Amino acid sequence: MTWTCDQIEAQLSDYLEGLLPAQDRAEFESHVHACSDCAPLLASVKDLMTELRSMDEVEVSPRLIYSILDQTLGPRETVSGWQSFQKFIRGLATPKFAYGVASVLATLVIVVSTFGISFRKPKLADLHPVTVYRNVDRQAHLSYARLVRSVSDWRVVYEIQSRLRQGENELQAPSEDNAPQSTPENQPGQKDDHTRTQPKQQNRANEIGRQMELLAAQCPVVFERSIR
Amino acid sequence: MRRHTRRIFNVCYRFVGNRTEAEDISQEVFLRVYRTLGSYRSAHGGFATWMTSVTRNLLIDHYRRTKRDRQTDSLDDAMPVVENKESVARRPDQQALLNELSGQVQSALTRLSPELREAVILRDLQQMEYAEIQQVLAVPEGTVKSRINRGRIELAKILQQMGVRPS
Repeated sequence: MTWTCDQIEAQLSDYLEGLLPAQDRAEFESHVHACSDCAPLLASVKDLMTELRSMDEVEVSPRLIYSILDQTLGPRETVSGWQSFQKFIRGLATPKFAYGVASVLATLVIVVSTFGISFRKPKLADLHPVTVYRNVDRQAHLSYARLVRSVSDWRVVYEIQSRLRQGENELQAPSEDNAPQSTPENQPGQKDDHTRTQPKQQNRANEIGRQMELLAAQCPVVFERSIR
Repeated sequence: MRRHTRRIFNVCYRFVGNRTEAEDISQEVFLRVYRTLGSYRSAHGGFATWMTSVTRNLLIDHYRRTKRDRQTDSLDDAMPVVENKESVARRPDQQALLNELSGQVQSALTRLSPELREAVILRDLQQMEYAEIQQVLAVPEGTVKSRINRGRIELAKILQQMGVRPS
């Protein structure tokens, strides 16, 4: 049996989708190869199907989705007036926010202090770049000087402490050597000879006193502070 | 939700060929689905198929409603060529769209009869199975196949008339 053009047209999609039985497929192909009308029709429908199936989907605007949600689920909840203020305050009363504010304030205080701006008497002139530069420079030098002085003070204190410790060690050493020893030669009621060591101890104490005076003369700052 | 919206909007857009109208119909579809959700039974097929049925019904309603407008438009199309050229020149974005192959195919789609158009859209653009299309269109499978086949051939002929050759 030979297929007609109408039959070919009716079976076109089935052929292209591979739904025709093998015998019908052979009949279809033999007609198309021989028919000058059906061959271009088959080619154009085949290309059309390829084009249709490769067409991109059209993007949906977000407005459409919100509009659908509004119409089906109702308008979205909008907080206004006093409720929005309360919501805002609740948002502020969180530890995270408090830490953040504290950090920002601390940073602000440090920066403002570095710039030499007075909180008590704030002046617009303090914000001038030249003034800010001078203040920062002054603060930097002052900080450096304070640091150097502190290091120096601590060094002196350490030296004093080490010398005192050295003096104490020297004092303890001779006292151990001169500890009272019971001698079998001593008679009952006879005194030990303690008076022998007393001048040496006095000399040591005098020597430490002299060293302290010498240090006080060398480091007036530390001693003045300690007196105060 | 986003997936369904995208699918329904695309069915509507391919059918009416106009973004604004497609958005309006898509909204109507979701409203109708929302209101008649209780009437959905799994025996009707998958939820997506049921939504497509609702969409198809609304598209046909829209087509019938706007038939008079289209007839007026077709009279406008018959106006002198000079005027037509001017109107095209005023809308360069649409002209650029038409220059693209997909735009031309879209334009050809809207010239198909609604029965053939919906069958081609569901099969070749939405790539639905024959059984699903049968449920959506509520016609026998033979009719579905016939409409899809005729739709493709008609569309190919319209494109040929437009001087477009998909490759």
